[in-house]
Amino acid sequence: MHIVDTCGLKCPAPLIATKRALKDKGTGEVFQVIADSPTSFGNISRFLKDNNISYSWEESEGKWIITVTRGGSVAVTGNTEEYCTTGVPHMNRGGFVIVFTSDKMGEGDEDLGHILVGNFIRAIKDLDILPSKMVFYNKGVALGRSDSDFAGDLRVLEQMAVELLFCATCVAHYSLQDKINTGRMSNMFEIAQIMASASNVIKP
Amino acid sequence: MKVDLLQMVESGGCSSKIPPQVLEEILLTMPLPHDPNILVDIDTHDDAGVYKVNEDLALVFTTDFFPPVCSDPYEFGQIAAANSISDVYAMGGKPVIGLNIMMYPSAKLPMEAYSDILRGGADKAAEAGLRIIGGHTIDDFPPKYGLAVIGYVHPERIIANSGARAGDVLILTKPLGMGIILAGQRMKMASEADVVEAKRLMRLLNRAGADIMNEFGVRGATDVTGYGLAGHALKMARASNVSIEIDLGSVPLIGDTYRLADDGCIPGACFRNLVFVENDSLLRINLNYNLKMIAMDAQTSGGLLMCVKPGLEGQVIEKLHEAGLDRAAVIGKVTEKQEKYLYLYS
Repeated sequence: MHIVDTCGLKCPAPLIATKRALKDKGTGEVFQVIADSPTSFGNISRFLKDNNISYSWEESEGKWIITVTRGGSVAVTGNTEEYCTTGVPHMNRGGFVIVFTSDKMGEGDEDLGHILVGNFIRAIKDLDILPSKMVFYNKGVALGRSDSDFAGDLRVLEQMAVELLFCATCVAHYSLQDKINTGRMSNMFEIAQIMASASNVIKP
Repeated sequence: MKVDLLQMVESGGCSSKIPPQVLEEILLTMPLPHDPNILVDIDTHDDAGVYKVNEDLALVFTTDFFPPVCSDPYEFGQIAAANSISDVYAMGGKPVIGLNIMMYPSAKLPMEAYSDILRGGADKAAEAGLRIIGGHTIDDFPPKYGLAVIGYVHPERIIANSGARAGDVLILTKPLGMGIILAGQRMKMASEADVVEAKRLMRLLNRAGADIMNEFGVRGATDVTGYGLAGHALKMARASNVSIEIDLGSVPLIGDTYRLADDGCIPGACFRNLVFVENDSLLRINLNYNLKMIAMDAQTSGGLLMCVKPGLEGQVIEKLHEAGLDRAAVIGKVTEKQEKYLYLYS
């Protein structure tokens, strides 16, 4: 398979190399792009997503291997296997998904539940293995409010390439359209797909 | 020794800025001073603060500095000064006094280049009628330069990003593409002519645009800099509680900007700005991808984005063209607040 190695290249060279490879390929041809920075990986994957180019990716020892299919279907898949790596703090990502169905954690006192869920979100970025995605639905979408105490923590997770997905129906139901400016909106089909293909689903 | 300042910049432009939404969040937690004489503060994320001295005079106060965007120290000084002064023009003010702000690696670079940067800044300040009356330098790598500037404005003639009104027509005075062309220069993909043109535009003061805004009673405007056209339009729409519609097909571009974007020469700042704007914006289905990313391109010393009363746009464009801003164009309009703040189409 054709490999585009962008390791050591500074932005926007990795994207230029990816785009060049796409232009050279015929429909259905597959090639791989290797990136060694979260920024390069983030920008390339965002580019592919925005252009409906199908790809999958895996991350190992601080390198991202993106498999791109030229002119393929729209489906975008993340990695669903555990990649246990060592030595690169905060860059190890598993195939598990965390779902937030409420703005509280556990049963009992409501105020305590709010505090706990905030502490939980803060703790995620320090886990040895990060989730691949965090999904928010029903009252859970309120956790994405930009005025919350842990909005900065969500942002950090996003920068670590953890995808944050909010149920658009729920965001509209609670009229939070103007309050959430992190992650992206999603639909129940995508959420169902993500949960079905996750190695584990964690519900705090 | 011929100094090439671009060799000093390690980040390749990707990581020299704090992501805008991170900054916004932190600023939200900062206490704001309360004083009736503060006419404009960070609350509306405007280009500069404005403080009323008396019924006839208010001060526009702003600062800006950044690492080199070009190789030549003198030219860098000019560009940084034009960029720093631009915030005063964007608010309808007249620059009066300024202070230099410099970080310079005295052990790594000859002091001639330091002097050239300051001289570039001083010459540009003189062109703007700004008196530089002091400054401050610390030893640091890579070099960074800019100014803190104070301008005068009449308290009732302030032009703010909160002054956009439904029905206004949007005019942009300089073409877009500075960030993409400069990245293209690093990648050796941009033509010499485009780089020369981008640098000419970055050196160009926004004074003529400000004069014309005052002449036509414009009340809403901003200058287009690090957040890109889309980011600054979004900030203006939020501050004014209106929606802004931009036809990206009519936005003027520098030279081969579109082709560079199409070749993948899209700087990291575009992706950062995209994350900043996308939740408050509606990017129309079939929106041209390259134009979308050009709308996110961080500009250095970019043009003014002004809100002109409907019916006046023809005269304003004519005046801007006469003043040498020959690429100035109508790019969109302001509407009542709709579901989203910003609508981009092509």
